[in-house]
Amino acid sequence: MSAHTAEHLEHTESPSDMKAQIWKTFWILLAFTLVDIALYFVLSPSMFRNWVFIILGVVKAFFIVSIFMHMKFERKFLAWMIVLPMILVVYLITLMVTEAKYVDDHVNKDSVAKPATEQVDDKHAH
Amino acid sequence: MANSATLTTDTKTQWGGGKSPFSISYGKLMMWIFLLSDAFTFSSLLVSYGFVRYSFSGNVETPWPSPDMVFNHFPFTDAHLPLMFVSLMTFILIFSSVTMVLAVEAGHRMAKNEVVKYMILTIIGGAAFLGCQAWEWAHFIHGANPKTLADGTVIAGANLFQNEYGPVAFADLFFIVTGFHGVHVFSGVVLNIVVLLQTMNGTFEKRGHYEMVEKVGLYWHFVDLVWVFVFTFYYLI
Repeated sequence: MSAHTAEHLEHTESPSDMKAQIWKTFWILLAFTLVDIALYFVLSPSMFRNWVFIILGVVKAFFIVSIFMHMKFERKFLAWMIVLPMILVVYLITLMVTEAKYVDDHVNKDSVAKPATEQVDDKHAH
Repeated sequence: MANSATLTTDTKTQWGGGKSPFSISYGKLMMWIFLLSDAFTFSSLLVSYGFVRYSFSGNVETPWPSPDMVFNHFPFTDAHLPLMFVSLMTFILIFSSVTMVLAVEAGHRMAKNEVVKYMILTIIGGAAFLGCQAWEWAHFIHGANPKTLADGTVIAGANLFQNEYGPVAFADLFFIVTGFHGVHVFSGVVLNIVVLLQTMNGTFEKRGHYEMVEKVGLYWHFVDLVWVFVFTFYYLI
């Protein structure tokens, strides 16, 4: 039991004002959620609005991970071990959005444009 | 001497180097690794959602529905209230995350009664969220405005094969993404109940620390974290 306790004490300790920090984080998260809702009604749908929502989501995630999940007080190497793969996931999202644009162009716009190209072909045949 | 040292690290601390890497215990490090792998699973679901949705942007026959035309209902009223119910769900989950981290903080001070109080509040929050999600699913499945197709078929509500609101893929992705998240919330509530019972039994007091509360807390915050992105991608964008 003593070894287990000693290992537990090895942790980087929480700051003394942890409770105040928890409540501060709660109000920040609540405020950002209310900003999300307000922007949903104020701004009309656009790519710019989407990016605002994504950035606000990442900011909220930062506060949850750093304060609630205690990451701010852990070793930096551990934080990077978790954050770095997630940065690569953002790269994956960029790639997939590019691919989705390709699918959209070739499936949806082609199907709309097809009758016109067939007509052109008919004229050439005559 | 060397023998006894090996014995101590193997049975008690699981580390060979005498000191835990990153100054974090085995259990917490493994929880972080698990959460990273779980984050990959959720990322793959959200990335495929983004892919399918974006590839529908030029589709005029079955356009992707705007979320405020689908999720605009609130219990006990027929008023058009887009985003309100899901905002309430978000608030419930954030608040249960706060009570969870307060339980962890109380555990650091070995305050057993406070841990019990905050764990109960967290479990209530989780159960309330699951109840809201059940209502949301029931409403989505039953539908609001049945659609009649050209051949006379009537589509009411949504399931894995038909969707009155738009493409079937919209319903499929809604069920898999929120369903997978809901399963996580449910397992989180079960884990919280187990930890609550152990706290009440005095298991952690005897052990000398409340690290199990921290580990379950990490999982619970992760569930909250995922909801932030489900909320962003499914309801806002």
